[in-house]
Amino acid sequence: MQSKRVGSYKGSVHILVVEDEQKMAKALQEGLEADDYSVRVAHTGEEGFYLVQAQRFDLVILDVMLPGHDGFEILATLRKRGIKTPVLLLTSRDAIEDRVRGLDTGADDYLVKPFAFPELLARTRVLLRRGRPDVSQRLKLADLEMDVAQRSVVRGGQQIELTHREFELLEYLLANQGRVVSREMLARDIWKETARQTPLDNVIDAQIVRLRRKLDGHFERKLLHTVRGVGFVLREEDES
Amino acid sequence: MRLRPTHLRTRLTLWYVSVLASLLILAWGGTCALLFWQLRSQLDHFSVQEIETVEGLFFFTPDGQLRLREDYHNHPESKEVIERFLEVRSPDGAVLFRNDRLGNRELGESPFQGEGVGGYSERSARLSDGTRVRLVSRIHTLEGHHLLIRLAHSEEPLFSRLNDLLLASLLVLPLVLVVAGIAGYGLARRALSPIEQMARRAQEISPERLSARLPNDQADDELGQLARVFNDTLARLEQAFEQLRRFTSDASHELRTPLAMIRSVGEVGLQKDGTREDYRDIIGSMLEEVNRLTSLIDNLLTISRADSGHIQLHRVVVPIMALAREAAGLFEILLEEKSLRLVLEGDERAQVAGDCLFLRQALVNILHNAVKYSPVGETIFVLVRNGDTNQITIEIQDSGPGIPLEDQARVFDRFYRVDKARWRESGGAGLGLSIAKWAVEAHGGSIGLESAPGRGCSFRIILPSAGTVTIKSCQGDPGDCLDRK
Repeated sequence: MQSKRVGSYKGSVHILVVEDEQKMAKALQEGLEADDYSVRVAHTGEEGFYLVQAQRFDLVILDVMLPGHDGFEILATLRKRGIKTPVLLLTSRDAIEDRVRGLDTGADDYLVKPFAFPELLARTRVLLRRGRPDVSQRLKLADLEMDVAQRSVVRGGQQIELTHREFELLEYLLANQGRVVSREMLARDIWKETARQTPLDNVIDAQIVRLRRKLDGHFERKLLHTVRGVGFVLREEDES
Repeated sequence: MRLRPTHLRTRLTLWYVSVLASLLILAWGGTCALLFWQLRSQLDHFSVQEIETVEGLFFFTPDGQLRLREDYHNHPESKEVIERFLEVRSPDGAVLFRNDRLGNRELGESPFQGEGVGGYSERSARLSDGTRVRLVSRIHTLEGHHLLIRLAHSEEPLFSRLNDLLLASLLVLPLVLVVAGIAGYGLARRALSPIEQMARRAQEISPERLSARLPNDQADDELGQLARVFNDTLARLEQAFEQLRRFTSDASHELRTPLAMIRSVGEVGLQKDGTREDYRDIIGSMLEEVNRLTSLIDNLLTISRADSGHIQLHRVVVPIMALAREAAGLFEILLEEKSLRLVLEGDERAQVAGDCLFLRQALVNILHNAVKYSPVGETIFVLVRNGDTNQITIEIQDSGPGIPLEDQARVFDRFYRVDKARWRESGGAGLGLSIAKWAVEAHGGSIGLESAPGRGCSFRIILPSAGTVTIKSCQGDPGDCLDRK
């Protein structure tokens, strides 16, 4: 396994998953591999620690609750040794103190279990891309085109009128085209809602219905799909 | 716990006995001193009378010797005279006469200035052999000679009587104290026996038997009061425990429902061969339940943190109208979908010193309820009043089906749903309103409901006003007060 800089194709991006739960580790590995990352799994903190020192990874996904040395300790030791690999912490504790502690210890991001997988993928992308913001003024999918600066959306040569929120929603979906976007991600990124308890699911669903009506209503080829139990995806082929 | 009353009883008895002992010693000492003083003044009085008698009995013999007329001895009171000590000196101190009883012993020192002049100079003195005496002096003039007559009585009988008295008290006092101690111990035991009883009963109280109460809470005394205070605490504990028990059982029920669905859907899905579509559908359906579980657990976490007092409010000045507008804005699309109208009216100056996040959560939860239950085409009113009693009232009225009277009291209870059959499609686990209630009460406010079946609901939130000061507001970008988390 050779390591390169974050390259143009994902297969060369190496991610280390440190997770003691076999099922979780397997799910993470398969999920990330399905997204074309090269994944290595460590089942104990010590193994993970050894691997990070032995070879180069572009990202470490580190579970906090590990037998023996916990995630915080591993992270602290890594940072002390000057290893700057981005670290995404996973925890089942939603305590603010934990969050603060994690970030203070040197974690780059923090995800509370249970999380939606698309969310993990999104965070992973952000961490790998960090420092190279991907600003695109024109977004395109099939016959759908968005000009962010002009705030105009055209499909099949037809102008589509969108409200401010619908535009933001579509922009987000377009930027993530082909990838499933969860309701939590939409709540946080579009509705700027940080409290997980806020009952936004109905609102998001209604907004999606609206957007779909405007976007796909008059077209044979549907672009906006609902992935039951997970979220929504904007893509060309009709899979579900 | 069991040893303590015994200790207290002993302590009380010790206290009691030592107080009694010091009082007795004080009283005894006082009595003795008084008695001694009285006897001595009696002695002085007697001596003065005698010195006057003796004055007339002195004569000079022809050779100039001072003598005391002896025939006086025939008188019945002569005995007294014999028992006295008598000495006569010249003013320069030369001894002129000493009676037989005194013999060679000195009665007092050399005469001092003014001794026996115009009075009797009563004082205590010691003979040269140490005998304690009470002494009076008198200047008498006989045939042109100044005579200093000193007359004394022994104080020894006085002291010996005093000694007898002290000895007697030393014997009696311990006896008295022992008796008092036993009696006091018995009394203390009697007085403390209700406490022992209470302690025994309290020991039997356990989380499983919280319904037990302490005895004698009817008594009007201190112990009765103690028992009442204790019983009140127990009642509150029992209520809290009961709430917790119900909460736990409700929570596990709520958790079990989605779990049961996941299991059934999964098991049934595995039994039959399906198409790719079918499996997607099955997994999706299971994931939906997982999402429900996740949000349920998020809510439970909030509640448990609120219960344990771990949530700290970050208070800033919150303009209520802006907050309500922002919260209502969240549901804009749902309002449009159902052709609902939302009317927001009130005092723009109304503001509360509170935590944006939780106040907003309360408003959002109640508004969500109103939006959910309002029939198509109706109007939801949000009225904000800035009362003159330093209170801000927020009223949220809908025209939904309303809530039956018997359910109204329990609407804010956790997991409580009026429409038990339909909750799944309308979403939520019956925690929204109880979280709202917690948030409002954490701000020192109150929340109430007025409703009648068929006439909609009117939720009323009352919050203490922050006056008109402006420190920092969360007006404008709602993210402002939310980013903190």
